[in-house]
Amino acid sequence: MDVRDRKKMARDSNSIFVKPGMTPKEIVKAVRSLKGVCFTSVGMRDAGQSDFKNRHRIYDLKTLAPFYNAMGLFSAECHGGARWHVGVMNRKESPFEEIDILRQLMPNVLLQTLIRETNMWGYRPYPKNVIEHVVSVVDIDVWRCFSFLNDVRNMRTVAEVVMKRGKLFEPAISFTMADWATNQYYLCVVKDIVDLCGGTDEMIFCVKDMAGVGSITRVKSLIDAIQQKYPELVIHYHRHITDGLAMPAMLAAAQAGAKIFDVEEDSLARFYGHSPILGVEAYFKEAGVPVNLNREEAEKAVLKVREWINFYDWAESPFKGFDHNVIFHKMPGGAFPSSFEQADKGGFLNLMPAVLKVMSMYNKIIHYFDVTPGSQITWVTCSGIVNKYAKAKGEAGVRHLIELLSGFIEEKALDFQAMNSDEQEELLTLFGNAPGDFRNLILGHYGKLPMGWPPEWVYRSTFGEEWKKKIKERIELSPLDSMADDDLEKMRQELAEAIGRNPMEEEFILYLMHPKDAIAMIEFREKYGDAPLVLPTDVWRQGLKKHGDKVDFELWAKPYSIELVSVGAEHEGVVHVVMRVNNKTRVYTVETPRAKKSEIRMAKGFHEVGAPINGNIWRIGNPQRGTLKVGDIIHKGEEIANLEAMKMENAIMAPFDGQINEVCVKLNSFVVEGQLLFVLEKAKL
Amino acid sequence: MKRKINKILIANRGVTAVRIMHTCRDRKIPTTAVYSTPDRLAHHVFMADSAIHIGEAPPVESYLNMEKMIAAAIQTNSDAIHPGWGFLAENDRFARMVQDAGLVWIGPPPEVIQSLGDKIQAKHLAQKANVPTIPGIINVTSADQIKKWMKNQKVEFPIMIKAVAGGGGKGMVKVNSKNELTQAFAQAQSEALKAFGDERVLVEKYLERGRHIEVQVVADEYGNVIHLYERECTIQRRNQKIIEEAPSPSIDDDLRNEICFTATRLMREIGYTTAGTVEFLFDSTTQKYYFLEVNTRLQVEHGITELITGVDIVGIMIDVAMGRKLPFKQNDIHPNRWALEVRLNAEDPKTFSPSFGTITRLQVPQGPGVRLASGVYEGADIPPYYDSLFLLLISAGADRADAIRVMDRALGRNLRVEGVKTLAPLLLSIIRHPKFIAGEFSTRFLEEHMDELVSMFGEKNSEDEILKIARYVAEISALGPQSWM
Repeated sequence: MDVRDRKKMARDSNSIFVKPGMTPKEIVKAVRSLKGVCFTSVGMRDAGQSDFKNRHRIYDLKTLAPFYNAMGLFSAECHGGARWHVGVMNRKESPFEEIDILRQLMPNVLLQTLIRETNMWGYRPYPKNVIEHVVSVVDIDVWRCFSFLNDVRNMRTVAEVVMKRGKLFEPAISFTMADWATNQYYLCVVKDIVDLCGGTDEMIFCVKDMAGVGSITRVKSLIDAIQQKYPELVIHYHRHITDGLAMPAMLAAAQAGAKIFDVEEDSLARFYGHSPILGVEAYFKEAGVPVNLNREEAEKAVLKVREWINFYDWAESPFKGFDHNVIFHKMPGGAFPSSFEQADKGGFLNLMPAVLKVMSMYNKIIHYFDVTPGSQITWVTCSGIVNKYAKAKGEAGVRHLIELLSGFIEEKALDFQAMNSDEQEELLTLFGNAPGDFRNLILGHYGKLPMGWPPEWVYRSTFGEEWKKKIKERIELSPLDSMADDDLEKMRQELAEAIGRNPMEEEFILYLMHPKDAIAMIEFREKYGDAPLVLPTDVWRQGLKKHGDKVDFELWAKPYSIELVSVGAEHEGVVHVVMRVNNKTRVYTVETPRAKKSEIRMAKGFHEVGAPINGNIWRIGNPQRGTLKVGDIIHKGEEIANLEAMKMENAIMAPFDGQINEVCVKLNSFVVEGQLLFVLEKAKL
Repeated sequence: MKRKINKILIANRGVTAVRIMHTCRDRKIPTTAVYSTPDRLAHHVFMADSAIHIGEAPPVESYLNMEKMIAAAIQTNSDAIHPGWGFLAENDRFARMVQDAGLVWIGPPPEVIQSLGDKIQAKHLAQKANVPTIPGIINVTSADQIKKWMKNQKVEFPIMIKAVAGGGGKGMVKVNSKNELTQAFAQAQSEALKAFGDERVLVEKYLERGRHIEVQVVADEYGNVIHLYERECTIQRRNQKIIEEAPSPSIDDDLRNEICFTATRLMREIGYTTAGTVEFLFDSTTQKYYFLEVNTRLQVEHGITELITGVDIVGIMIDVAMGRKLPFKQNDIHPNRWALEVRLNAEDPKTFSPSFGTITRLQVPQGPGVRLASGVYEGADIPPYYDSLFLLLISAGADRADAIRVMDRALGRNLRVEGVKTLAPLLLSIIRHPKFIAGEFSTRFLEEHMDELVSMFGEKNSEDEILKIARYVAEISALGPQSWM
């Protein structure tokens, strides 16, 4: 080992102060005893979510891992939030694979997730037994957990399982700027959290400013108030940069006592994400706040990002630039690009200013925090209302809506009775088309709202004549206490049926969070193997472009090369692609969207009878009864058809007593294994 | 009587035809291949010196069409016909037609084929030669008759219903209980009619946990009848063999000599000539063996006997057809190897459902101790009309463990078939199964261990995986970025 390496090692080991395997107590102690502050890099999760719709692939992100490993970070947020769902749905990578890869490449770094209390990484509240099962099998060191209602009761199960596993629990309060969101309010929430965690020695507390709306004095005042009441509490400040004021706000938080800050590579920083790591380090140091960071490694990571970030231009948010007006509409960093993408796809991008305006008024009527799933509820509800007005009355209608709402809020100070009867009538139609999640929210299915139930007229508007009944149905309990357990074995069986084999545990967890998309991803991976993990992003997205283009990579410790020879012309919906795979020529037949599909119906479920093997159906019925047809009664074990394959006869038996509802095959036709032959109806007992 | 053979028409296709052509090449005898329409570009067609189209895909119009076969021989100046196995191999009428056309029939005399092809007659002949047979009844016409026989003879289920004209596992139905009897009887009759044009069936007691042992015999027309020892063919799926080995691990030398001698005696009494096989069912618990049938043809699994004895059985068949004497005596035959054969069928290894299509990639095993006969080449089609066997893989070693080791290498490392499903994963699981390795098995081995065998199917391998990735690259290269991304 030469002198330079020795020096480097010494430097690395100086900056590394926490590692996987340490107990929560040891980690908290290590952070407290730091001279200054430290960083969580969100470069592997939130950076992508905020500006690139979560499309950053592990193939690229993992190139940062060796630098992270030596950087002296508090943690790397690489898991959770919408990265989960988009991974399953769009990138076709599983979060489990990502953790495995990162564990190998950065064994020094605490891996951090973002979990939505009872919603975990899905979009519905899960019952207790699902949360317990899922949390107990995911290999994560730091569990940042938030509630969009700041309903601390909802965090209980996650907290219990995480702490029992000896992992670090990091409860977060959702922060926003509003007249009702006072220090006094937040201190009550902090108290609930400290009580939940049994003190401040084995947890880290987070203030989650997910929209980036905290003004500098507001942030300083809040951190200060918390720190004064809980001097030993280690505070982590998470703040998006949407309003353009993040860095001074972070410094104010540091000066008030916060110890950990979320940053990302300077080269990743855009408009909605987090502050640039090198910039923050320089700014803090100049202000006299020491930063625990191996800057040299951080610089290398910043450079590394430039090697691949341009492959993601297509995924960037269509709405660029900072937006100080976020302090009114409060759309969080993570939701920003995807909302604009949806507006673009939905053809109402021109209505976005109005939607944002309506959001800024909506959140004065119904109080909660704009972070998943709340931000989606706000978005769907408000964009729905605006679209409804736009469709009915065009631009004038939208203007009228905004006038109506601002009159209600500003002039009438939210007093429904103060509105004239026409206006009341109109407000009572406002939430008539609100989505189911909005209805569930105001019925208490997610937990209790931070400022209590919304006013009565909101229920009248949402539920019409049923409103009184609905108000009686409101649930005061946390979903953890009101929801019945799911039948995990039954769900596992459902997945097994959908994919035709027993799922692996990790596949089952994906399925619990995102049932439909998990099945699609499992099918994708069975067809395309490890393509999402081994292909460079340009090839993943575009394929190979011209003759001679090739892609080299390793799979399972052996080298491979795929080279394009030619792509043929389309003929009747089919294109032939000639490639050399490790020097051997192969021709792939690719169906274009214009290909004619001959769909074969396959037997599904117990009342459908499929062909046991490929073969020829040469008899429908049996010699005793002759041909069977629709409506005939059949008896369990009775032969209902016969299939011949390779000169062998295979009797197909009725699985139960019942009746033939449909004969799905013609006599003497060739059928494939599993092809639907009969639909039966079981006899009633 | 000496006969000349200048050119042989091989009335068969695929692996069978290819195997016979190997010997013809060795003997410098030109060959004629026949082909049906879908086989126009098949492997055996190009192996031959000349080839002739004989009809459409359905076997009755081509490979089973006797008139066309004879006409093809005459048209191509072939003076002999080798039927191979399957198709017309055990058809005495065809053998007669060949001889009547003045051609040399490479097989046993037609009358021998006829009498042995009838299971009832064959059973009589065996009993006459003092060969033990399985208890059963013949001339069965109704399920009631079977019930009566079972009652009188105190026979318990299961029983076996067999087509009188059957062979190759077709037209055989096992009946486990009284409830199944009527339906099984009808099925056996129907299958028999379809496969052999003869709906007669016979019924025998089913020997649980029996083993299938057969003796290879060669005979000339001068009364020399010699056995080439036995083969064990116990591992079967749906009554069709998929793994064979020689010698049999189930019997000791005393029993071996007894069975081989019994087989030779039977064949001598019948007046058999050329290559044939006497099949026995062996009950390992009682150490008793029972006559099953005589196969009056070259067997699929003859290759393992060739490997352990050094004899070219196809060559002997040609010699005998030319009227020559066997070139060796019984004392000259000294097996000194262990050989194992697996049948690569184009089938789903879990369900045995046939898998047709184009073989897009074929890498065949090489290395010490491997022999193979392939009916296909890379790019060839496996049409849906014929038997699913497309490749025979044989390994040889100093002893059984050695032969299994070589087979494991060949199946597990070297062989690669793309485009169709094959039995390879199942075959590999079988030869790795502790019970197979210990020689503890019966004809029900697959039924008893199927779940376990399937669970032993190999994990993903990188060659398969890379092709999935390549497919992705091909699709995206052709279609561009996708909306789901």
